[in-house]
Amino acid sequence: MSGLGGARNLLRHPLRTALSVAGIAVAAAMLLDMVMLSGGIERSFERLLLARGFQYRLSPRGTLPFDTEATIPNVSAVVTMLRRDPAVMAVTPVLGAAIFGRRRGDDSLVTLFGYGFDPSTHALDEMLRGRELAEGDSTGILLGAPAASLLRAEPCDTVTIVGRLDPEAAAPAVERRLVVRGIVRWIYDYRGQPSVGTTLPLMQRLAQVASEDRASLALVKVRDELATPATTARLRRELPGIEVNGVADLVRHFRERLVYFRQLALILGSVSLIVTVLLVTTLLTIGVNERLGEIATMRAIGVSRASVLREVMIEGLVLVVIGGGLGTALGLVTARYLDAILTSFPGLPAAFSFFVPRPRPLALAGMALLVTGALAGLWPAWLASRAPIAETLRAEAT
Amino acid sequence: MSDGIRAPVLDGRNLRKSYHLAEQTVQALRGVSLSVAPGEYVAIVGPSGCGKSTLLQLLGGIDAPTGGTVSVLGTELGQLSDRELTHLRLTRLGFVFQRFHLLPVLTALENIELPMAEAGVARAERRERARALLDYVGLADRAAHRATQLSGGEMQRVAVARALANRPAIILADEPTGELDAATGRELLALFRRLNADGATLVVVTHDERLAAEAGRVVPMLDGMITCS
Amino acid sequence: MLLSLAPTPVRAQRPGVAVERRLAERLGLRVGDTMRLASSPDSAGRLFSVAAIYDPPRDPAALLKRELRLRMHLPDLAALLGAPDRIDRAGVALRPGVSAETAAARINLSAFGYRAAPSREIAAESSQTFAVVSRFHRAIAVITVVASAVFLLCIMLLKVEERRRDAAVMRFIGVRRRTIFGALLLEAAAIAIVGALLGIAIAWAAGALTNLYYQHYFATQVVFSLITPRIVLFGVALSLVLGVGAGALAALRLVRTRPAVLWGRG
Repeated sequence: MSGLGGARNLLRHPLRTALSVAGIAVAAAMLLDMVMLSGGIERSFERLLLARGFQYRLSPRGTLPFDTEATIPNVSAVVTMLRRDPAVMAVTPVLGAAIFGRRRGDDSLVTLFGYGFDPSTHALDEMLRGRELAEGDSTGILLGAPAASLLRAEPCDTVTIVGRLDPEAAAPAVERRLVVRGIVRWIYDYRGQPSVGTTLPLMQRLAQVASEDRASLALVKVRDELATPATTARLRRELPGIEVNGVADLVRHFRERLVYFRQLALILGSVSLIVTVLLVTTLLTIGVNERLGEIATMRAIGVSRASVLREVMIEGLVLVVIGGGLGTALGLVTARYLDAILTSFPGLPAAFSFFVPRPRPLALAGMALLVTGALAGLWPAWLASRAPIAETLRAEAT
Repeated sequence: MSDGIRAPVLDGRNLRKSYHLAEQTVQALRGVSLSVAPGEYVAIVGPSGCGKSTLLQLLGGIDAPTGGTVSVLGTELGQLSDRELTHLRLTRLGFVFQRFHLLPVLTALENIELPMAEAGVARAERRERARALLDYVGLADRAAHRATQLSGGEMQRVAVARALANRPAIILADEPTGELDAATGRELLALFRRLNADGATLVVVTHDERLAAEAGRVVPMLDGMITCS
Repeated sequence: MLLSLAPTPVRAQRPGVAVERRLAERLGLRVGDTMRLASSPDSAGRLFSVAAIYDPPRDPAALLKRELRLRMHLPDLAALLGAPDRIDRAGVALRPGVSAETAAARINLSAFGYRAAPSREIAAESSQTFAVVSRFHRAIAVITVVASAVFLLCIMLLKVEERRRDAAVMRFIGVRRRTIFGALLLEAAAIAIVGALLGIAIAWAAGALTNLYYQHYFATQVVFSLITPRIVLFGVALSLVLGVGAGALAALRLVRTRPAVLWGRG
């Protein structure tokens, strides 16, 4: 009966209840978004790193992958050593370098980003149309969609790729004519990044690092059960001149860089809960004050304090449940909108997402909202249950 | 006055009550004693502010006296905890108020069910009893109506049915006809008469001379005291 | 540029290097100390003398990179890297009156292997991150304003409804609707202004705490939270508009209701 009364009390003032529910819905939406933002960055980054199952990134000592222009020398020796390791399933060295291409038609130079990699591992790309590079293909190239658009090229077209330019001679230091084998999506590219990819030896020649056999990083895949801190420690011992980054290490570095968003999520999430508390407390306190006479009557006819307390708290919970439900829908819509803004960060992989729904944190947020609603109702409920019966009835009679 | 044979169901002795209003102390009751025997119909009458409603509240355990004692069915209320007092009001006493005080969000039937639900009566049983009580007060056809959809007389009859819900030993009514017109007031008088005839003990605070005339005993009050009883 | 660093106790006449304060603190360096700098962990490198310790400029773009920097003369760096006569970029100062865009276009006509860009263009490109953050903040602000508006409307409605009986009494004794409406509106405006001022005080305190925390966290003097007069004005104006609007809506409902209903006997 108390529950029924509690819920029905909200219908006495429909406009007031609707406004409160709307307020709670917006606060709940903000809370939901902030919960998704707080851990979503890491989850999304981790998912991206493990997109092709490589659990380790090896980069030059003291650097993070592609964070500087530094490269690993004699990378073939490193790869050979790693391939002999029984724990290692696959290794693929990658060279990233700024190169140029001649636009088909007007021959003008456009700046490109070039990947040199082992095509057989499919570590970096996802084929959209055309075909993959064959192993040892020294005349083929893969283009990302933005690069294809810049170069005005399609599969089977021939494009001219230029390595370093020599300003003094006003001529390209290295130039190759390559056949476009396919158009791909580069997994780690930011939106609109004009990237192309060839085999590692060819890219080393274009970037003029072939003699030192350099690569920017190496991706290493080990058996899943062996991707442990012990394996990380062993690889670090075996490769003292190289930075061995596990997924957890990279996520940690990334988290440090995006600490602002985590803290913003924490602050705004807390503010949302405070707003919910204020709304529910205000509404219930005023509602309770308006019906003190009724409450005193209930107490007079023998309704216990606990029942009065329960009824008012149920009112708070019903408000929060309805507001929270609407807020969830609103939060999912606003998360998409906010994600579209944040993923336009320059240099951020296009596949990255800031707002990732995860069941556990969302359940925790829901619980936090419910507990908040219940706690917010506690004060007005306590006031109601403690109202002096005779005094209130006397005041009502006047 | 008790008949001296049967033990009183309600016994107030030397009751005093004072309030603090601003910086003044108001003596609402100045040593009132009143006993009510089982099945008795008592009307407390007197001008406004004479302390009759305060006396009813003390007798019903809604308020605590500044001095004196109240016993209901042999239990002294001053010895009870708040929880025990609440339970006594729920199960042994029935209240009817001047302004009905029905819960507007509940239907007539649900208002009558409320004290039974609080007392832990099973849903089916309380529904059946609530319907029987509505029938008793002549409102069987108004069961599904919200309190706000009922007339003043209907509301007060639902309030009487609510007071009877847990089969109380005593019914206490504070100006039950105060908000009703003459015709509706007459209906309520008839209902009270029927209740008393069915064995209910009634203590009614009233200005209404017709209602007082129906009572078996009239207790006149003035300035916080019973003038003769 | 990656350099490996190693402090060394040897003192001699060396090329000078200016070290960023955070790096100096991390390596325990003081002016006059000698340090070894190398282009890779396995190369011998060269010894340098710490000539100065400096605080980096307040550049928000450098905050998240956490790079530790040092400054040296160009020939010393070129010698250290083994790349004589090679630079990453060069700054060009133009004579007064010459347009940067025209000059850049002229240079680019004959450039090969490099590109000239006006500072404004570079600034716009490098501030892309902040533009995104600003858009994000604006979106959050819109959600906050919506939440505040609903909250304010709700509070005003409650506040005005609290005066039902007062309004009923005023109507009973013949006070005009317009007078009651005006009084309620005035009350709403006063609450909105007081609330806005209180909010600004809380925001100022929160901003001070934010600055304290992040300046410590990033070891920088960059100001993270700044409350400008424009923001204060916007906050007060918005609160006033929302408060008075919400108050007016609620007051209108109240004065349109019959006094008997307001009194609870309707």
